Amino acid sequence: MYTKEEKAEIWLDSFHLDYGKKARLYQLAKHPLELARRFSSLRSEIEKIVGDAMCNALASSLETSEYVNGLMQTYAEKRIRCVSFSSPLYPELLRQIPDSPFVLYCRGKAELLHERKFAIVGSRRTLPQILRTAERYARDLSPYFSIVTGIADGGDSAVIAGALASGKLISVLAYGFDYVYPECNRVLLEKVEKQGLVLTEHLPDEAPRSFLFPARNRIIAGLSEGVLVISGGEKSGTRITADYAYSYGRDVFAFPYSLGVESGIGCNAILKEYAKLTDNLVDIADAFGINLTEAEEVLLTGAELAVYNSLKDGEAHISEIAERTGLKQHEISSVLMLLEMKKLAAPCGGNRWAAVK
Amino acid sequence: MLSKVISFALAGLDGIPVEVETDINNGLPAYELVGLPDAAVKESRERVRSALKNSGRKFPAQKITVNLAPADVKKEGSCFDLAIAVGILKATEQLTGADLAGIVFLGELALDGSLRPVTGILPLLISAKAKGYTSFMIPSGNAKEAAYIAGVQVYAAHTLTEVVDHLSKLAPLPALETAKYAGASPQDYNCDLAYVKGQATAKRALEIAVSGGHNILLVGPPGAGKTMLARCIPTIMPSMTFEEALEVTKIHSVAGILSEEGIVSLRPFRTPHHTATTVSLCGGGNRTIKPGEISLAHNGVLFLDEMPEYSRSALESLRQPLEDGVITVTRSGGAVTFPANFMLCASMNPCPCGNYGSADKICTCTPAAIHKYRSRISGPLLDRIDIQVEVDSVKYDDLVSDAKEESSAAVKERVERTRGIQRARFKEGKVRVNADMGEREMHEFCALSRECEEILRLSFDRLKLSARARARIIKVARTIADMEGAEQIAPAHILEAVSYRTYDNFN
Repeated sequence: MYTKEEKAEIWLDSFHLDYGKKARLYQLAKHPLELARRFSSLRSEIEKIVGDAMCNALASSLETSEYVNGLMQTYAEKRIRCVSFSSPLYPELLRQIPDSPFVLYCRGKAELLHERKFAIVGSRRTLPQILRTAERYARDLSPYFSIVTGIADGGDSAVIAGALASGKLISVLAYGFDYVYPECNRVLLEKVEKQGLVLTEHLPDEAPRSFLFPARNRIIAGLSEGVLVISGGEKSGTRITADYAYSYGRDVFAFPYSLGVESGIGCNAILKEYAKLTDNLVDIADAFGINLTEAEEVLLTGAELAVYNSLKDGEAHISEIAERTGLKQHEISSVLMLLEMKKLAAPCGGNRWAAVK
Repeated sequence: MLSKVISFALAGLDGIPVEVETDINNGLPAYELVGLPDAAVKESRERVRSALKNSGRKFPAQKITVNLAPADVKKEGSCFDLAIAVGILKATEQLTGADLAGIVFLGELALDGSLRPVTGILPLLISAKAKGYTSFMIPSGNAKEAAYIAGVQVYAAHTLTEVVDHLSKLAPLPALETAKYAGASPQDYNCDLAYVKGQATAKRALEIAVSGGHNILLVGPPGAGKTMLARCIPTIMPSMTFEEALEVTKIHSVAGILSEEGIVSLRPFRTPHHTATTVSLCGGGNRTIKPGEISLAHNGVLFLDEMPEYSRSALESLRQPLEDGVITVTRSGGAVTFPANFMLCASMNPCPCGNYGSADKICTCTPAAIHKYRSRISGPLLDRIDIQVEVDSVKYDDLVSDAKEESSAAVKERVERTRGIQRARFKEGKVRVNADMGEREMHEFCALSRECEEILRLSFDRLKLSARARARIIKVARTIADMEGAEQIAPAHILEAVSYRTYDNFN
């Protein structure tokens, strides 16, 4: 099971200390194991860092082995595997970032941490056709990378839908395992735990709070060799992920958006600064020297092709498609359903449709 | 002396014969009314007294006892006034030579002796006729309604004096002529599909819904024309047969909302406000059990505008009547069954702000908020709505365009043809339209080719439809096939039916 070093790291992490205090304790004694051994001699300095009450709590937890054993048992019961800094599973890329988490609490296939990783992130408000595209990208990249993302509606959900089948999927949470946020993603979260990996830097009883999400994004960026931003408004969290990734020296990719598309302002902004414009999977594959296997050609019948082509210029209303193709509206409804099943078209609401590129 | 006069009391949609016995005795002047009368019946004393006096008759200064038999049935309303007045006249021998046997008296008296119309004449007459009564005396205000009953003599009088003169054969009234029922045509309605610009998808969905008797949900931004579309539904439904019209008229008569025409020939279109309670939807009441909105919408359309705004319990109460076509309302006073075979048309915004899917306005809702909004309609209720369709926000150009739109009359013709196919298919069974099909009928009439099965399987896989949508889709596909006159359900029919699951298909 866990080594002595790992146990010490897990012990120190279990006290709800904020990141800065933990870092200073690490500095103080080089390693939590050392800290525990020399606790009495370091006591006055520890007290300065964490305060009187916390210091007493730390001291009393060290008196017997009961505390640590209890901790291990609780985690085991919650099906949580702790990957701490000295664990061989701890991802190398994440170690390199300036404020890497001390312990990763994992549920699912922790061995995915050893694979190459690539992050795909998107905002909750993403155009339906972009969601389909992101789903396809996630699916097609999953043979080469474990796909890293968050867990939320919209972009994240589409990425999860794409990569889940391969099982090479890592969702990073911004809160502890005792919580699910938003509640409607409970089923999705359980699926990811079962088939892929869910991880967080937080103790199980850490409730979701808004300021934890930007900090979570540093883990998504830090885990990954590259990040693809599929959508993001002006103040989207995806922008934060991209900025982190850029500052860590990782490759950042983004979809381009046309003028006036609100969910794409953030993408265009990072494209101006540092991101690589991506309108084809090959753009990503080339950056990592991957040879993509040819996607099989989808065969379209005459009517399907006509309807698909009529969507070339972007979103169109069914009546516009009818004008362009000369087909009856209810015939178009049938064809559009076929195209949707083939993942070539997506409904945008209000009887308008868009082609999936 | 003792007199006996027949009247009728209303219990739900049925009439119960009530014998009004009047006895005059010597003694201190008094008026005793027995036989479980409610306040309105008790007050008849004052109306009868004044009406008699003002018609030039005498209200005897003796002890009058009036008994409404059977004594154990509660009597409500003002329709016994006439019978009581006639009973007093007979008992005091002011009405000599008249034979009252077999005549049913119904009507409320005004103080000046004129007769006021009462509610529920049609159901009363129908049940009285069934019980063998053939002669009726009613207020002239109810004449139009009563004229549709054939095979009985109905005399409509304006005043008590006319009644007395008729009974004593001084001035006999002519019996009402039986009115002929003419079904309504689309022109009789206020709206017409021809005035709805654009909206081809929604119009097509409406046609399918009406053709197969499917319930429909219109999803669209505010001001898109959902209500206008819904109002057009009755115009494309087949005209009501006389029997259907009678059923509707009975219910409306009991509720007291009958219009001048006397018979309801237009299919009802009921729009209860979203503050409606369960009782106002399903029917009920303290003493008299009155039909609710769902019964008033019988043979017509119940339109729930902004469906998520209705209270959960009110919506859930629709489930059983949607399934059975009748509602049984039970109160301390007894249980009454009202017919409630209506087509449900509901409308809602696509999201809380209303702009989801709008071409030019930006939706500010998060996906979670949209999910929450949509989940206000429970699955089981949604399960009974076969067709969900999006209504587009209308562009200004569309509104002012002169493009010729199809009229309701043309659509109605097609609907009647499709209904004909279904009648021939289901013959005499309980099932009349495709939407009513059970497992057995679906097995018999909705055989799917392997290709169709494959498409259905794929669509569940890819579009994440809920499992219960399957039967709905097949029924709608059957209707679409019928509209084309196709024997077999083809893949295109299945696909189009799948496209009417917008609601399930939200990601």
